[in-house]
Amino acid sequence: MDHTLPKVTGTIDGHEFEVCHGTTLLEAAKTLGIKIPTLCHHPGLPPDGNCRLCLVETGDKLLASCAFPIRASGGVYLTHSPLVFEARAFVLKLLLSRAPNNKELLKLAEEYGAQADPRLSDDPDGCLRCARCVRACQAAGSQAIALIGRGRGRKVAGPFFEPPLDCVGCLACARSCPTGLIACGEEPRVIWGRQFDLVKCPQCGRTVGTPEELKRAGITSWLCPDCRRREYSQALKNLPEASFVRN
Amino acid sequence: MFLKDHRELEALRSGLMTGPAPTRRLWVCGGPGCLASGAAQIQAALASEIKKQGLNSQIDFRADLTGCLGLCEKGPLVGVEPEGFLLEKVSLADCQELVSKTLGQGRPIERLLSGHQPIKNHPFYQPQIRQITRRFGQINPESLLDYLKTGGYQALGLALSALSPDQVCQMVERSGLRGRGGGGFPAGRKWSSCRLAPGTVKYVLANGDEGDPGAFMNRSLMEGDPLAIIEGMTLGAYAVGANKGFIYVRHEYPLSVERLNRAIEAAEKMGLLGKGILGSSFSFNLEIVLGGGAFVCGESTALMASIEGREGQPRVKYVRSTQRGLWEAPTLLQNVETWANVPLIVEHGHEWFKSQGTSANPGTKVFCLVGQVKRSGLVEMPLGTTIGSLVFEVGGGSPPGRSFKAVQIGGPSGGCLPESALDLPLDFDNLSSAGAIMGSGGLIVMDNLSCMVDVARYFTGFLMGESCGKCSPCREGLTLIYRILEGLCQGQGRPGDTLELKKLASLLSKTALCGLGQSAANPLLSTLRYFEEEYLEHENERFCRSGRCQGLFWPKIDPDLCSGCGLCQEACPAKVIFGEKKQARQIDLANCLSCGACLAVCPFGAAQAVRQDS
Repeated sequence: MDHTLPKVTGTIDGHEFEVCHGTTLLEAAKTLGIKIPTLCHHPGLPPDGNCRLCLVETGDKLLASCAFPIRASGGVYLTHSPLVFEARAFVLKLLLSRAPNNKELLKLAEEYGAQADPRLSDDPDGCLRCARCVRACQAAGSQAIALIGRGRGRKVAGPFFEPPLDCVGCLACARSCPTGLIACGEEPRVIWGRQFDLVKCPQCGRTVGTPEELKRAGITSWLCPDCRRREYSQALKNLPEASFVRN
Repeated sequence: MFLKDHRELEALRSGLMTGPAPTRRLWVCGGPGCLASGAAQIQAALASEIKKQGLNSQIDFRADLTGCLGLCEKGPLVGVEPEGFLLEKVSLADCQELVSKTLGQGRPIERLLSGHQPIKNHPFYQPQIRQITRRFGQINPESLLDYLKTGGYQALGLALSALSPDQVCQMVERSGLRGRGGGGFPAGRKWSSCRLAPGTVKYVLANGDEGDPGAFMNRSLMEGDPLAIIEGMTLGAYAVGANKGFIYVRHEYPLSVERLNRAIEAAEKMGLLGKGILGSSFSFNLEIVLGGGAFVCGESTALMASIEGREGQPRVKYVRSTQRGLWEAPTLLQNVETWANVPLIVEHGHEWFKSQGTSANPGTKVFCLVGQVKRSGLVEMPLGTTIGSLVFEVGGGSPPGRSFKAVQIGGPSGGCLPESALDLPLDFDNLSSAGAIMGSGGLIVMDNLSCMVDVARYFTGFLMGESCGKCSPCREGLTLIYRILEGLCQGQGRPGDTLELKKLASLLSKTALCGLGQSAANPLLSTLRYFEEEYLEHENERFCRSGRCQGLFWPKIDPDLCSGCGLCQEACPAKVIFGEKKQARQIDLANCLSCGACLAVCPFGAAQAVRQDS
């Protein structure tokens, strides 16, 4: 937490909170132990606010708490009001039509009394369009995949629905997918219709990654992190005592 | 010629004003409608005819293209100056006579005239106040000199020589100008916020991504007076401290792009854009960015993403663009029409600007009046004019045999207002409390043959196709709403559909991420609010009183109203209408398709829709 930032206060469900300026509403709720359901949110990725499950009421408006930065004191937020409940049930009903067998979704749907609408039962491909995979790919340094198309026809894919040339096979997309829908193989490394070579640590034989992935990260050593650490401390140990300077 | 300071600008202008004026000018309307019906060819024919008849050798006669003259329905239009005639439905065959008689002798061609001349007495034009569109019919939009001659760049000259950026900002703030793009957000507040935002790099943007079905006001402005937008943006850049601007225009408007590009080039050559404008230390460059045809790119954050070269989709907007917009820099984005208001405010002062319109909604607004009215076209009225005066005075009301039912205002995410709203003043606040929006100012007039459920289905379908699909309520929810509406229109409604639609619409507007999704339910919500009985008839009785939804009505001919003209008989695709000449027609319902073709053509309102079980 950056302690140079000013503090802001407010209440969530009647409980007072104090957080740093710019903290998201979702994080503020967490400090009070209030749980807000999320789907597209991932703590390691920039917020997108697209699934709309984390909606919270303030005034007569709903806010996506995962993306809303608190920048003023005095806010009164409700995470379990009738409107919030209704809105989440609506969102869950819509998402269920896309992923009717998703366990997490079904559990939430039960909690909120949501049912899939038969009129949206076509194309239940299991994907929530939460874009966690796309954002993970971007955050990792590639833009190999994207959500292609508009509206209900939107799908995650590589350019022109072909195996993406910019993919480095890091599996960040598959690992961040909340539905486990992205088909991939660890060894041999297969994803998005492409197969990748694997770099094995020359010392311990562990898999370090794909050559493309290491290149993207700017890593020239093919040692695994553990072996690198060991080698580095070994080098430190062999240094003469005089080279350690005490301040 | 490069203008070194504002004195040179004024010298040039007074030279132009006192110089020899053309004796008589023919202004060929260069609006989208007239161009589509051959205005450019007519202008070329007139020009060559002038040469052929040797008119130009004696005195200066000209025929130029100009901005949209407004009465699109009667195009191609030709205006005659200084007499002020407006010739309607001009064809290539008229050109020779036009030059010899009208241009040469100042006499109009009777067959091309409507009953109301000069044109300012025409009921279409009389109630209008043409402020933003004042140069349409007065200048060639491709001529910077024409622009200067009509007062162009007076405001910028004044600002750069006598006003501080802060003063310009305050003028806009005090004028009460509200954003013309739809929301009506006070422009001055945006300007001040952007001006005060920390940062050395700032941007000004113009939104010309007009995408509403039936709307062409932004297009008309970009094509008819591109320099007004450019001057407005230059003033805005000066006020907030930006040196770079972008005009975002949809690529389906090639003429807008061409004219804006020419205008930018001409302004650069004269030193009205670029480095050290008019000898001041202020520099400003302007660039055009083409939209790829996505409706959602009219939304501010999606528009910026598109300019940055990213996928045009909105982002969660909890930080204003005036603080963090294009490339994270403070950004002032306004609709092209808002920008065109700025030179007027700076030139004439905020008090003058407030003398038009109402106190909370000052100024004029350009509207596109289309649909079932006698006179459709581009209209400019002060804000606060009643809907009724626009539809009935300017537009002339519904066509013969039909009755007014509703007016759809504000584009696809606007609302349908009923007859009881005709006295409602057209301004941002009144429209939104009535369930519509100003939007960019499109008005589609509908009559008794428009089914309100079908209208909601149409607009929901449009928005469903344009939804970017980022957030789940808009992506999945709009589809669900569309399917329910489609079911109702096809006679497959289920009990409770109307109630469910109400619930879904209200939830969609509260949960969607951006303005498109939040307002996407407006057509549905407003038709449910004012025309719920039509929904219930579709749901419970499988009846469409407007005769629009096929299979949900039988056509019936009222023998008392039928003149026996036989138009319905001609129009019927199933050939089931029969009857003698001048006798009331009859319909063989056993073989009728229930398509409504007879209803649409009857000029007497004799063909009507009745319940199928009656």
